[in-house]
Amino acid sequence: MKKLALIFISIILIASIAVGCTNEEGNSELDTPQGNKEVVNVYTDRHYDTDEELYKTFTEETGIKVNIVKADSDELIERLSREGESTEADVLITADAGRLDRAKQKELLQSVESETLSKNVPDNLKDVDSTWYGLTVRGRVIVYSKDRVNPDELSTYQDLTSEKWNGKVLVRSSSNIYNQSLLSSFIELYGEEEAEKWAKGIVNNMARNPQGNDRDQAKAVVAGEGDLAIMNTYYMGKMLNSSDPQEVEVANEVGVFFPNQNTDGTHINVSGAGVTKNAKNPEQGIKLIEFLSSEKAQEQFAEANYEYPVNDNVNPSELLQSWGDFNTQDINLSTLGEHNTDAVKIFDRVGWK
Amino acid sequence: MISMGKIRKNVNLWSILSTLIILVIIITNLNIIQNLFNKPNDNWTHIREYLLKDYLINTGLLILFTGVISLIIGTSLGWIITVFEFPLRRIFKWALVLPMAIPPYIGAYTYSGILDYTGIIQIFLRERLGLTINQGYFDIMNIPGAVFIFSILLYPYIYLITKSFLEKQSSSLIENGRVLGNNPFQIFIKILLPISRPAIIGGVSLVVLEVLNDYGVVKYFGIPVFSTAIFKSWFSFGDIDSAIRLSSVLLTIVFFVLILEKILRGRKKYSFSNSKIRPIKRYKIKGISKWIVFLYSLLILSLGFIIPTLQLIRWSIMSFTSVLDYEFIRLIINSISVATITTLLIIIIAIVISNFNRIESGLISKIYSKITSIGYSIPGVVIAMAVILLLVKVDNSLYGVYKIFNSNTPKLVMSTSVFMLIFAYIIRFLAIGFNPIESGFDKIGKQFFEASRTLGKNVTTTFLKVDLIMLKPAIITGFILVFVDILKELPLTLILRPFNFNTLATKSFEYANDEMVQEAAISSMLIIIISAIAIYALFSLENKEVK
Repeated sequence: MKKLALIFISIILIASIAVGCTNEEGNSELDTPQGNKEVVNVYTDRHYDTDEELYKTFTEETGIKVNIVKADSDELIERLSREGESTEADVLITADAGRLDRAKQKELLQSVESETLSKNVPDNLKDVDSTWYGLTVRGRVIVYSKDRVNPDELSTYQDLTSEKWNGKVLVRSSSNIYNQSLLSSFIELYGEEEAEKWAKGIVNNMARNPQGNDRDQAKAVVAGEGDLAIMNTYYMGKMLNSSDPQEVEVANEVGVFFPNQNTDGTHINVSGAGVTKNAKNPEQGIKLIEFLSSEKAQEQFAEANYEYPVNDNVNPSELLQSWGDFNTQDINLSTLGEHNTDAVKIFDRVGWK
Repeated sequence: MISMGKIRKNVNLWSILSTLIILVIIITNLNIIQNLFNKPNDNWTHIREYLLKDYLINTGLLILFTGVISLIIGTSLGWIITVFEFPLRRIFKWALVLPMAIPPYIGAYTYSGILDYTGIIQIFLRERLGLTINQGYFDIMNIPGAVFIFSILLYPYIYLITKSFLEKQSSSLIENGRVLGNNPFQIFIKILLPISRPAIIGGVSLVVLEVLNDYGVVKYFGIPVFSTAIFKSWFSFGDIDSAIRLSSVLLTIVFFVLILEKILRGRKKYSFSNSKIRPIKRYKIKGISKWIVFLYSLLILSLGFIIPTLQLIRWSIMSFTSVLDYEFIRLIINSISVATITTLLIIIIAIVISNFNRIESGLISKIYSKITSIGYSIPGVVIAMAVILLLVKVDNSLYGVYKIFNSNTPKLVMSTSVFMLIFAYIIRFLAIGFNPIESGFDKIGKQFFEASRTLGKNVTTTFLKVDLIMLKPAIITGFILVFVDILKELPLTLILRPFNFNTLATKSFEYANDEMVQEAAISSMLIIIISAIAIYALFSLENKEVK
């Protein structure tokens, strides 16, 4: 017993010393940004292992080392704004256009003019003032039970509020950013009043109180708690490739439907990146974003999360192609951020938990 | 009025150190308190109209039920383990602490993973027995479900503190109770409960604060609570003022409860002063009651630890080929070393302040002891922002000094290093270390201290030669609580970490956040294993002393 305690304590001590050394190493690199080694410091809310591999490739090609802090976008933006002029971050990457717009509104990003980026990223997927560029696209779609629902019955997001779907609709809570952005797009397209009517209609038709994440909505469809779920395309991709065979089975029992194809198009959102206003290595930052938008990186960057690439020269993965092409909402994605607060307030008013 | 003479008499190493630490805590939180006096705006009206009532009710229900249930589980187990002899008691003794090593949000994912449509139970019922299942029976994502998750994973806070308190209780009290013809249960109710009240209340308040601060479980279950409102106003409305106003409402409630308790406890100081600390002679129970006690312990351990761990192992097996690599060694080293360094610092600080408080039983010490728990009462994210603001200011003003050492230095040195993280941990978790140590001092009382002082030893010598030795169990308890808490800590680690710094907790969060629970399982398992080793090792240290 005594021995064990001793061993434990010595492991801890050795470990502490080890981490002390490695941290000094890490800092000395940060300490000399003007040294031989070029760096780019990134704040990101994307957590995929494949992203790390892309950064490695980038370092191999350009010699620029990529340093990463990963956290939720809201907190990263808050950290960035509190660090102010002295921040060490050069690039901000988030998985939601609304958040990128918020960073822009807080004057945390700078305009970047780059031929490569204008060529690689379509205009509707970037900021009007070029403070950020979209890098991957996902749709928020309707997922239905193949057993009980004929896809011909489905048409639009608006149709989900009709009588026939009473008690059949599954969706997660309104504290989720994807729901907020969806409603924001409706505010932009149809005005606040219509958007509120829609949200109210969905609340009336909910199969249960909002709970769980997107995957749980698909499971609930298969379990028969409801017939339809609103969820992001990439969660379908993830379930189909899950390490849990049961989840794969569930995903196979539901179908993907792109709503509003004959009207305003399906709601989409992007992961995107921008160079911070007070970047110490802005050129390296631009290089990184250019690299991520390049044909070479796009495939991997999008596929990491079963998303669609923004670069038109790159095809989506086979799985996504199998769902077919679809029309997207024709709005500037910056508006998702502008309407976010109103969207949240609408959710509160209609009682969407 | 305090006379100059009294002040001079009271100035010593302990008071200076305590005051310094308290000042640092206050300065860090100053900008939070500052915002309180801004005028309410539209968002505040919206929050009050649509959110506050429901959110307060939900929060109230969660706190009340989690508090009561974990209190019952924690104290009953603490009592059983201390006074009864039953099969596997020695293993239960430390294993019953293990549930606290499972981060509640992972516990939530795990239990819903077990119970949902693709979970092992439903698959069995569906495919083996061919039953159609009403999903409602297996729905855990509601308030009772959250109460279950919290109680079963957080009761160890109460168990640990109560147990270490009871264990070192003068066994003569129990023996006297016996001689007077009381059965074990009567002794528990009449003697042990009253005497261990400060310890129990300390434990319960830790649990309550933990629940107030949780965001992962309630978010996943879709239960809007107080912290939801804070995040909503901060991030969705971009309105820090309202967020901080909400935090301070929370803070006020917490303070009120804590101070009320202190007042109620009043002058009833139950410190015992028996120089012989003998281990308690345990009852050898027989027959059916032996097995009831055994099964009860086993039930709690299964729900809180064995069942979720089995599920995590099952997921780990599914995913390890795609997840596990050498990077994990680095993650383990990072997690352990940061947790160890911070825990040691916190324990030292907690001892300094609580020793000062004991010597100084005036108003100042009461205020000091409340200030230590500020950090634990405010949501982690709010603390994180306060810490960034402070350290960026400090960095900017020390820029000149940095330049002397390195002409190329960036402005942000402390706030881009692991220092910021450790600093924030200390502010946040001081209460966790402070609580058991304060109640440890409470129990020792002043007699030995006064005796030693009378014999001409100064405060510091007395502390080293007398108090520290008697305090050992409390220190061990504090160490376990803080160490495990830091291992699994999330919001601070995520936001405040330096570039390229990952821990097991952040890794596990990254996967879980992408709804990849299977992949998150391995890092969670490692957190549990490290905690288990630490808990076991520390318990052995304690046992050695009892012999």
